[in-house]
Amino acid sequence: MRHLIASKDFREGFVEMLPACLGLIPFGLVCGVGAQAAGADWLATLGMATIIFSGAAQVLAVQLYSAGAPTAVIILTCFVLGLRLLMYSAAMAPLLKPLPPSWQRSLAFLLTDQSFAAAIRRFNETHDARGGGLHFLGCGAALWLMWVITNLIGFYAGNAIPASWSLDFAVPLCFIALVAPLFRTVPAVAAGLVAGVAVLALDALPMKLSLVAAGLIGIVAGTIVDLMRDRWTAR
Amino acid sequence: MDGALKLWTVIVVVGALNYLSRLSFIAFFASREMPPLLARALKFVPAAMLVALVVPMVLTPSVAGTLQGVNPRIPAAIIAAVVAFFTRSTLATLSLGMVALWVLQALARPIG
Repeated sequence: MRHLIASKDFREGFVEMLPACLGLIPFGLVCGVGAQAAGADWLATLGMATIIFSGAAQVLAVQLYSAGAPTAVIILTCFVLGLRLLMYSAAMAPLLKPLPPSWQRSLAFLLTDQSFAAAIRRFNETHDARGGGLHFLGCGAALWLMWVITNLIGFYAGNAIPASWSLDFAVPLCFIALVAPLFRTVPAVAAGLVAGVAVLALDALPMKLSLVAAGLIGIVAGTIVDLMRDRWTAR
Repeated sequence: MDGALKLWTVIVVVGALNYLSRLSFIAFFASREMPPLLARALKFVPAAMLVALVVPMVLTPSVAGTLQGVNPRIPAAIIAAVVAFFTRSTLATLSLGMVALWVLQALARPIG
Protein backbone atom coordinates (compact mmCIF):
# COMPACT_ATOMS: atom_id res chain seq x y z
CA MET A 1 0.00 0.00 0.00
CA ARG A 2 2.75 2.39 0.99
CA HIS A 3 4.71 1.86 -2.22
CA LEU A 4 1.57 2.66 -4.22
CA ILE A 5 1.05 5.96 -2.43
CA ALA A 6 4.75 6.81 -2.76
CA SER A 7 4.65 6.35 -6.56
CA LYS A 8 5.02 9.37 -8.79
CA ASP A 9 1.83 8.60 -10.77
CA PHE A 10 -0.30 8.36 -7.61
CA ARG A 11 1.00 11.68 -6.30
CA GLU A 12 0.51 13.37 -9.68
CA GLY A 13 -3.09 12.16 -9.82
CA PHE A 14 -3.73 13.32 -6.25
CA VAL A 15 -2.25 16.78 -6.87
CA GLU A 16 -3.92 17.14 -10.28
CA MET A 17 -7.32 16.64 -8.64
CA LEU A 18 -6.82 19.32 -5.97
CA PRO A 19 -8.17 22.26 -8.04
CA ALA A 20 -11.21 20.15 -8.99
CA CYS A 21 -11.61 19.24 -5.31
CA LEU A 22 -11.65 22.94 -4.48
CA GLY A 23 -14.48 23.49 -6.96
CA LEU A 24 -16.42 20.50 -5.67
CA ILE A 25 -16.32 21.69 -2.04
CA PRO A 26 -19.67 23.52 -2.50
CA PHE A 27 -21.21 20.34 -3.96
CA GLY A 28 -20.12 18.36 -0.90
CA LEU A 29 -21.47 21.08 1.39
CA VAL A 30 -24.81 21.08 -0.48
CA CYS A 31 -25.07 17.30 0.01
CA GLY A 32 -24.33 17.64 3.73
CA VAL A 33 -26.84 20.47 4.17
CA GLY A 34 -29.47 18.47 2.27
CA ALA A 35 -28.91 15.38 4.38
CA GLN A 36 -29.18 17.40 7.58
CA ALA A 37 -32.36 19.14 6.39
CA ALA A 38 -33.91 15.78 5.47
CA GLY A 39 -33.42 14.56 9.02
CA ALA A 40 -30.45 12.23 8.48
CA ASP A 41 -28.00 11.84 11.39
CA TRP A 42 -24.24 12.31 10.96
CA LEU A 43 -23.68 8.59 10.48
CA ALA A 44 -26.16 8.36 7.60
CA THR A 45 -24.59 11.47 6.07
CA LEU A 46 -21.19 9.80 6.32
CA GLY A 47 -22.70 6.60 4.88
CA MET A 48 -24.10 8.43 1.85
CA ALA A 49 -20.81 10.19 1.10
CA THR A 50 -18.74 7.02 1.61
CA ILE A 51 -20.92 4.39 -0.01
CA ILE A 52 -22.98 6.21 -2.67
CA PHE A 53 -20.09 8.62 -3.48
CA SER A 54 -22.05 10.53 -6.13
CA GLY A 55 -23.24 14.08 -5.54
CA ALA A 56 -26.06 13.93 -8.06
CA ALA A 57 -27.46 10.68 -6.61
CA GLN A 58 -27.14 11.95 -3.03
CA VAL A 59 -28.95 15.23 -3.72
CA LEU A 60 -31.72 13.36 -5.54
CA ALA A 61 -32.05 10.65 -2.86
CA VAL A 62 -32.30 13.24 -0.09
CA GLN A 63 -34.88 15.32 -2.01
CA LEU A 64 -37.07 12.28 -2.65
CA TYR A 65 -36.64 11.07 0.93
CA SER A 66 -37.78 14.46 2.30
CA ALA A 67 -40.74 14.42 -0.08
CA GLY A 68 -41.77 11.06 1.40
CA ALA A 69 -41.23 9.02 -1.78
CA PRO A 70 -41.35 5.21 -1.37
CA THR A 71 -38.01 3.44 -0.95
CA ALA A 72 -38.33 1.64 -4.30
CA VAL A 73 -38.93 4.94 -6.16
CA ILE A 74 -35.85 6.55 -4.57
CA ILE A 75 -33.69 3.55 -5.46
CA LEU A 76 -34.96 3.30 -9.04
CA THR A 77 -34.54 7.04 -9.70
CA CYS A 78 -30.98 7.04 -8.35
CA PHE A 79 -30.20 3.95 -10.42
CA VAL A 80 -31.40 5.65 -13.62
CA LEU A 81 -29.27 8.68 -12.77
CA GLY A 82 -26.32 6.33 -12.23
CA LEU A 83 -26.68 4.73 -15.67
CA ARG A 84 -24.06 7.16 -16.98
CA LEU A 85 -21.60 5.21 -14.85
CA LEU A 86 -22.15 2.30 -17.29
CA MET A 87 -20.84 4.52 -20.09
CA TYR A 88 -17.86 5.61 -18.01
CA SER A 89 -17.18 1.98 -17.18
CA ALA A 90 -17.24 1.01 -20.86
CA ALA A 91 -14.95 3.90 -21.81
CA MET A 92 -12.49 2.97 -19.05
CA ALA A 93 -12.55 -0.77 -19.87
CA PRO A 94 -9.86 -0.78 -22.61
CA LEU A 95 -7.58 1.35 -20.44
CA LEU A 96 -7.87 -0.88 -17.37
CA LYS A 97 -7.73 -4.13 -19.35
CA PRO A 98 -3.99 -4.79 -18.77
CA LEU A 99 -4.41 -4.49 -14.99
CA PRO A 100 -5.17 -7.48 -12.71
CA PRO A 101 -8.86 -8.07 -11.76
CA SER A 102 -8.29 -7.03 -8.14
CA TRP A 103 -7.10 -3.62 -9.40
CA GLN A 104 -10.06 -3.33 -11.73
CA ARG A 105 -12.49 -4.03 -8.90
CA SER A 106 -10.87 -1.48 -6.58
CA LEU A 107 -10.46 1.26 -9.19
CA ALA A 108 -14.10 0.82 -10.30
CA PHE A 109 -15.27 2.07 -6.91
CA LEU A 110 -13.56 5.41 -7.52
CA LEU A 111 -15.19 5.99 -10.92
CA THR A 112 -16.91 9.40 -10.88
CA ASP A 113 -17.61 12.14 -13.45
CA GLN A 114 -14.46 13.98 -12.40
CA SER A 115 -12.00 11.10 -11.97
CA PHE A 116 -13.23 9.54 -15.21
CA ALA A 117 -12.58 12.65 -17.30
CA ALA A 118 -9.15 13.18 -15.71
CA ALA A 119 -8.18 9.52 -16.19
CA ILE A 120 -9.21 9.45 -19.86
CA ARG A 121 -7.11 12.54 -20.53
CA ARG A 122 -4.11 10.97 -18.79
CA PHE A 123 -4.42 7.59 -20.56
CA ASN A 124 -4.70 9.33 -23.92
CA GLU A 125 -1.43 11.15 -23.23
CA THR A 126 0.66 8.29 -21.81
CA HIS A 127 -0.91 4.96 -22.97
CA ASP A 128 0.57 3.43 -19.80
CA ALA A 129 -1.91 1.14 -18.00
CA ARG A 130 -0.09 0.72 -14.68
CA GLY A 131 0.92 4.38 -14.42
CA GLY A 132 -2.56 5.40 -15.54
CA GLY A 133 -4.11 3.11 -12.95
CA LEU A 134 -2.01 4.64 -10.19
CA HIS A 135 -2.82 8.13 -11.46
CA PHE A 136 -6.52 7.25 -11.40
CA LEU A 137 -6.13 5.88 -7.87
CA GLY A 138 -4.55 9.20 -6.85
CA CYS A 139 -7.37 11.22 -8.45
CA GLY A 140 -10.01 9.02 -6.85
CA ALA A 141 -8.39 9.11 -3.39
CA ALA A 142 -8.21 12.92 -3.44
CA LEU A 143 -11.85 13.21 -4.52
CA TRP A 144 -13.09 10.64 -2.04
CA LEU A 145 -11.31 12.26 0.93
CA MET A 146 -12.52 15.73 -0.04
CA TRP A 147 -16.03 14.36 -0.56
CA VAL A 148 -16.36 12.71 2.85
CA ILE A 149 -14.91 15.73 4.68
CA THR A 150 -17.04 18.36 2.89
CA ASN A 151 -20.24 16.30 3.31
CA LEU A 152 -19.68 16.24 7.06
CA ILE A 153 -18.79 19.96 7.20
CA GLY A 154 -21.98 20.65 5.25
CA PHE A 155 -23.96 18.54 7.72
CA TYR A 156 -22.68 20.54 10.71
CA ALA A 157 -22.03 24.03 9.34
CA GLY A 158 -23.16 24.31 5.72
CA ASN A 159 -25.98 26.74 6.44
CA ALA A 160 -23.45 29.37 7.56
CA ILE A 161 -22.55 30.20 3.92
CA PRO A 162 -24.71 33.01 2.41
CA ALA A 163 -26.64 31.96 -0.70
CA SER A 164 -25.73 35.27 -2.39
CA TRP A 165 -22.15 34.01 -2.84
CA SER A 166 -23.55 31.52 -5.38
CA LEU A 167 -20.81 29.05 -4.46
CA ASP A 168 -22.89 26.25 -5.99
CA PHE A 169 -21.88 27.68 -9.40
CA ALA A 170 -18.42 26.19 -8.77
CA VAL A 171 -19.91 22.76 -9.48
CA PRO A 172 -20.81 23.36 -13.16
CA LEU A 173 -17.53 25.30 -13.50
CA CYS A 174 -15.62 22.13 -12.57
CA PHE A 175 -17.39 20.23 -15.32
CA ILE A 176 -16.85 23.06 -17.81
CA ALA A 177 -13.11 22.97 -17.01
CA LEU A 178 -13.08 19.29 -17.96
CA VAL A 179 -15.26 19.41 -21.05
CA ALA A 180 -14.39 22.67 -22.85
CA PRO A 181 -10.81 21.61 -23.73
CA LEU A 182 -12.24 18.52 -25.49
CA PHE A 183 -13.89 20.63 -28.19
CA ARG A 184 -10.90 20.61 -30.51
CA THR A 185 -12.29 18.16 -33.08
CA VAL A 186 -15.45 18.39 -35.17
CA PRO A 187 -16.97 15.10 -33.94
CA ALA A 188 -16.43 16.08 -30.29
CA VAL A 189 -18.14 19.45 -30.88
CA ALA A 190 -21.04 17.63 -32.56
CA ALA A 191 -21.34 15.21 -29.62
CA GLY A 192 -21.40 18.07 -27.11
CA LEU A 193 -23.79 20.31 -29.04
CA VAL A 194 -26.29 17.54 -29.72
CA ALA A 195 -26.15 16.34 -26.10
CA GLY A 196 -26.73 19.89 -24.86
CA VAL A 197 -29.75 20.45 -27.07
CA ALA A 198 -31.11 16.97 -26.31
CA VAL A 199 -30.92 17.36 -22.53
CA LEU A 200 -33.12 20.47 -22.79
CA ALA A 201 -35.51 18.94 -25.31
CA LEU A 202 -35.97 15.81 -23.18
CA ASP A 203 -36.34 17.71 -19.90
CA ALA A 204 -39.89 16.40 -19.42
CA LEU A 205 -38.79 12.76 -19.18
CA PRO A 206 -39.32 11.25 -15.71
CA MET A 207 -36.56 10.19 -13.29
CA LYS A 208 -33.85 12.38 -14.87
CA LEU A 209 -33.81 10.02 -17.86
CA SER A 210 -33.06 13.10 -19.98
CA LEU A 211 -29.46 13.05 -18.76
CA VAL A 212 -28.56 9.54 -19.86
CA ALA A 213 -30.69 9.76 -23.03
CA ALA A 214 -29.04 13.05 -24.05
CA GLY A 215 -25.61 11.56 -23.39
CA LEU A 216 -26.38 8.58 -25.62
CA ILE A 217 -27.80 10.77 -28.41
CA GLY A 218 -24.69 12.98 -28.25
CA ILE A 219 -22.40 9.94 -28.44
CA VAL A 220 -24.27 8.64 -31.49
CA ALA A 221 -24.04 12.08 -33.15
CA GLY A 222 -20.30 12.29 -32.49
CA THR A 223 -19.76 8.78 -33.85
CA ILE A 224 -21.76 9.47 -37.04
CA VAL A 225 -19.79 12.67 -37.72
CA ASP A 226 -16.55 10.79 -37.00
CA LEU A 227 -17.48 8.00 -39.45
CA MET A 228 -18.53 10.51 -42.12
CA ARG A 229 -15.26 12.37 -41.71
CA ASP A 230 -13.27 9.16 -42.14
CA ARG A 231 -15.19 8.33 -45.32
CA TRP A 232 -14.65 11.87 -46.62
CA THR A 233 -10.89 11.85 -46.01
CA ALA A 234 -10.60 8.31 -47.44
CA ARG A 235 -11.85 9.50 -50.84
CA MET B 1 -40.87 1.84 7.44
CA ASP B 2 -38.82 3.54 10.16
CA GLY B 3 -37.03 6.66 8.83
CA ALA B 4 -33.47 5.64 9.68
CA LEU B 5 -33.98 2.11 8.33
CA LYS B 6 -35.46 3.49 5.09
CA LEU B 7 -32.52 5.87 4.66
CA TRP B 8 -29.96 3.12 5.25
CA THR B 9 -31.78 0.81 2.82
CA VAL B 10 -31.47 3.55 0.19
CA ILE B 11 -27.79 4.14 1.03
CA VAL B 12 -26.80 0.48 0.83
CA VAL B 13 -28.87 -0.44 -2.26
CA VAL B 14 -28.00 2.72 -4.26
CA GLY B 15 -24.37 2.33 -3.20
CA ALA B 16 -24.34 -1.29 -4.40
CA LEU B 17 -26.10 -0.45 -7.69
CA ASN B 18 -23.69 2.42 -8.31
CA TYR B 19 -20.71 0.15 -7.67
CA LEU B 20 -22.07 -2.53 -10.02
CA SER B 21 -22.64 0.12 -12.71
CA ARG B 22 -19.07 1.36 -12.22
CA LEU B 23 -17.63 -2.15 -12.46
CA SER B 24 -19.96 -3.49 -15.21
CA PHE B 25 -18.11 -2.97 -18.48
CA ILE B 26 -14.66 -2.86 -16.91
CA ALA B 27 -15.28 -6.45 -15.81
CA PHE B 28 -17.13 -7.42 -19.00
CA PHE B 29 -14.41 -6.29 -21.40
CA ALA B 30 -11.55 -7.50 -19.16
CA SER B 31 -11.45 -10.78 -21.09
CA ARG B 32 -13.20 -9.82 -24.34
CA GLU B 33 -12.30 -7.75 -27.36
CA MET B 34 -14.29 -4.55 -27.76
CA PRO B 35 -16.01 -4.10 -31.15
CA PRO B 36 -14.24 -1.28 -33.05
CA LEU B 37 -17.46 0.71 -33.56
CA LEU B 38 -18.12 0.70 -29.81
CA ALA B 39 -14.54 1.76 -29.09
CA ARG B 40 -15.01 4.64 -31.54
CA ALA B 41 -18.32 5.68 -29.96
CA LEU B 42 -16.89 5.60 -26.44
CA LYS B 43 -14.41 8.35 -27.35
CA PHE B 44 -17.36 10.74 -27.20
CA VAL B 45 -18.60 9.78 -23.74
CA PRO B 46 -16.80 12.66 -21.95
CA ALA B 47 -17.87 15.37 -24.41
CA ALA B 48 -21.53 14.29 -24.58
CA MET B 49 -22.10 13.25 -20.96
CA LEU B 50 -20.41 16.24 -19.33
CA VAL B 51 -22.36 18.71 -21.49
CA ALA B 52 -25.60 16.90 -20.60
CA LEU B 53 -24.68 17.30 -16.92
CA VAL B 54 -23.61 20.95 -17.14
CA VAL B 55 -26.41 22.50 -19.21
CA PRO B 56 -29.22 21.93 -16.67
CA MET B 57 -26.95 23.10 -13.81
CA VAL B 58 -26.23 26.40 -15.57
CA LEU B 59 -29.84 27.02 -16.57
CA THR B 60 -31.18 26.49 -13.03
CA PRO B 61 -32.68 29.84 -11.97
CA SER B 62 -30.25 31.68 -9.70
CA VAL B 63 -31.08 33.17 -6.33
CA ALA B 64 -29.57 36.57 -6.97
CA GLY B 65 -31.76 37.85 -9.77
CA THR B 66 -31.30 38.22 -13.49
CA LEU B 67 -29.80 40.81 -15.77
CA GLN B 68 -32.72 42.12 -17.82
CA GLY B 69 -34.21 38.66 -17.95
CA VAL B 70 -30.94 36.89 -18.71
CA ASN B 71 -29.70 34.40 -16.13
CA PRO B 72 -26.16 35.71 -15.32
CA ARG B 73 -24.99 32.11 -15.03
CA ILE B 74 -25.25 31.68 -18.80
CA PRO B 75 -22.73 34.40 -19.81
CA ALA B 76 -20.51 33.44 -16.84
CA ALA B 77 -20.50 29.82 -18.01
CA ILE B 78 -19.62 30.88 -21.56
CA ILE B 79 -16.71 32.98 -20.26
CA ALA B 80 -15.55 30.01 -18.17
CA ALA B 81 -15.77 27.69 -21.19
CA VAL B 82 -13.57 30.04 -23.26
CA VAL B 83 -11.04 30.22 -20.40
CA ALA B 84 -11.05 26.41 -20.06
CA PHE B 85 -10.64 25.90 -23.81
CA PHE B 86 -7.53 28.07 -24.00
CA THR B 87 -5.89 27.46 -20.60
CA ARG B 88 -6.97 23.84 -19.90
CA SER B 89 -6.68 24.87 -16.25
CA THR B 90 -9.33 23.97 -13.67
CA LEU B 91 -8.10 26.65 -11.28
CA ALA B 92 -8.23 29.45 -13.91
CA THR B 93 -11.69 28.30 -15.05
CA LEU B 94 -13.01 28.22 -11.49
CA SER B 95 -11.65 31.58 -10.41
CA LEU B 96 -12.50 33.53 -13.57
CA GLY B 97 -15.92 31.85 -13.81
CA MET B 98 -16.81 32.79 -10.22
CA VAL B 99 -15.54 36.36 -10.65
CA ALA B 100 -17.55 36.67 -13.87
CA LEU B 101 -20.70 35.50 -12.07
CA TRP B 102 -20.19 37.88 -9.14
CA VAL B 103 -19.62 40.86 -11.46
CA LEU B 104 -22.69 39.98 -13.55
CA GLN B 105 -24.82 39.53 -10.42
CA ALA B 106 -23.65 42.90 -9.06
CA LEU B 107 -24.64 44.50 -12.38
CA ALA B 108 -28.00 42.74 -12.28
CA ARG B 109 -29.05 44.01 -8.86
CA PRO B 110 -29.78 47.70 -9.53
CA ILE B 111 -31.70 46.80 -12.69
CA GLY B 112 -33.66 43.79 -11.39
